[in-house]
Amino acid sequence: MSSSLELLAEIRQSSERRPFAVLKLAEPLLNTRGVSRAGDDAWLVYEQVFVSAIDEGQIELAKAVLVILRTRFPSSQRVKRLYGMINEAVGHPDEAKTIYKEMLEADETNILASKRLIALLKSYGHIGETVKQLVAYLDIHNNDFEAWLELSNLYLTQNLYPQAAFCMEEVIMQQPANHYFHLCYAEISYSMGNFDLALKEYLRVVELSTDNVRGFYGIKLVADRIRDIRAKPKRDQNARIDDAPQPATLDRLSQLATERLVAAYNGANDTCKKTAEEWLKA
Amino acid sequence: MSEHTVSSQAYAKAVLHCAKYPWATVQGLFLTETKDNKIRYIDAIPLSHTWTQLTPMFDIALQQAQIYAASKNLSVGGYYVAYEDPNNIQLSASSALLAKAVLAINSNAVAFVIDAKHLAPESVRSGLIPFVSVDAQWKEQAGAFDSGKKGGKGSEFVLENNRVLVTAKKLIAERAEAAIHDFDEHLDDVSLDWLQNPLLNEQIRTA
Repeated sequence: MSSSLELLAEIRQSSERRPFAVLKLAEPLLNTRGVSRAGDDAWLVYEQVFVSAIDEGQIELAKAVLVILRTRFPSSQRVKRLYGMINEAVGHPDEAKTIYKEMLEADETNILASKRLIALLKSYGHIGETVKQLVAYLDIHNNDFEAWLELSNLYLTQNLYPQAAFCMEEVIMQQPANHYFHLCYAEISYSMGNFDLALKEYLRVVELSTDNVRGFYGIKLVADRIRDIRAKPKRDQNARIDDAPQPATLDRLSQLATERLVAAYNGANDTCKKTAEEWLKA
Repeated sequence: MSEHTVSSQAYAKAVLHCAKYPWATVQGLFLTETKDNKIRYIDAIPLSHTWTQLTPMFDIALQQAQIYAASKNLSVGGYYVAYEDPNNIQLSASSALLAKAVLAINSNAVAFVIDAKHLAPESVRSGLIPFVSVDAQWKEQAGAFDSGKKGGKGSEFVLENNRVLVTAKKLIAERAEAAIHDFDEHLDDVSLDWLQNPLLNEQIRTA
């Protein structure tokens, strides 16, 4: 029993979206009232089960859990938001919107309600309005890096790469040691043709993490690309390589990346290893 | 007019990739084999479920998929995408560019958008909507899998047989998507075989 609770706690901690796993772990606990063994965390478990249940379309289970939470916390705004979410899940956006607006009328700084309203807009495809609301939210809560991440993703879906890059810069300012954000920024930069910046960011990725295969692939890809661009007589207008290192340095970086990748691929099966090695030679 | 036939393995893997990340946009490639004027979609290689508009890892994956395909006497002949918003069944601008990269290496390449509404258990039609390149634009072939019987004049796109849909649905019901690993996952753990997904192939074969 306790190991299921531990696993559920780990999933909450990592914020991974694994609704099927959560329900599988929680089901026996729910049936035998084992959730109460979590003590005060029991309510976190119920909330987690609720969100996973609506994610999996198990509305009846979600309703049952909601009743338990409402009984325990009759005037909670956090629980009220779950009523909004279940309305969204069954396709009643107007009811959900009303609930979130009520929450904001009671407390205009309620972040949970603000975010749900934005998520609601997004789920109905109103991207322009979603961006507008999210920008307004960020005007107030500009140190919410997850909101900047969400805005970056929204801009990417609209192919607004410079705007997406700007958002990632805000994220990185707030979370400079997280290699994942540098990775995203590197890939946006590459996609925009800012190869010198992409290289710098991929290098930062491997500096901040260990054996980052994606980072090494990025370094090799960009270093070779810059070399190719320099070798062409006619420069592609979109390619920015002015701040890129000297050819000797690029060659060394490409070589180092190759070495690290070959070492990493010792852990791969023959097919993937052979394919990667052939790619590295090309 | 070439006939495009999609096998159980290709279809099931594309659909299971969607099932593994239902809240995200997913994309991948199809491996094809061409005999006379008939193109058979033999297999699918799942690529990504994050940052799907971005190009660097797509470029690497496409190059490696080509290397792998050549080793099996196959070609990279298709691109598939399923969008985060299930109501979105048009090829987006960034997908069009990525599919164009596939077209650059295979002039017969077709782009497919997966319509999630047709992946439900009660659906009786293919969830694939083909987009064919005409005058440098991707043109939707709406209802492509529906018109005419197999081999009939109207139909350019067919599922290999009536087991294709049944197999895919069965695997989804069995939660077989846990066994599919795309290039994104491979980059986090190189021991995952994104090119073949052999365990899944076995499950598809015996479904």
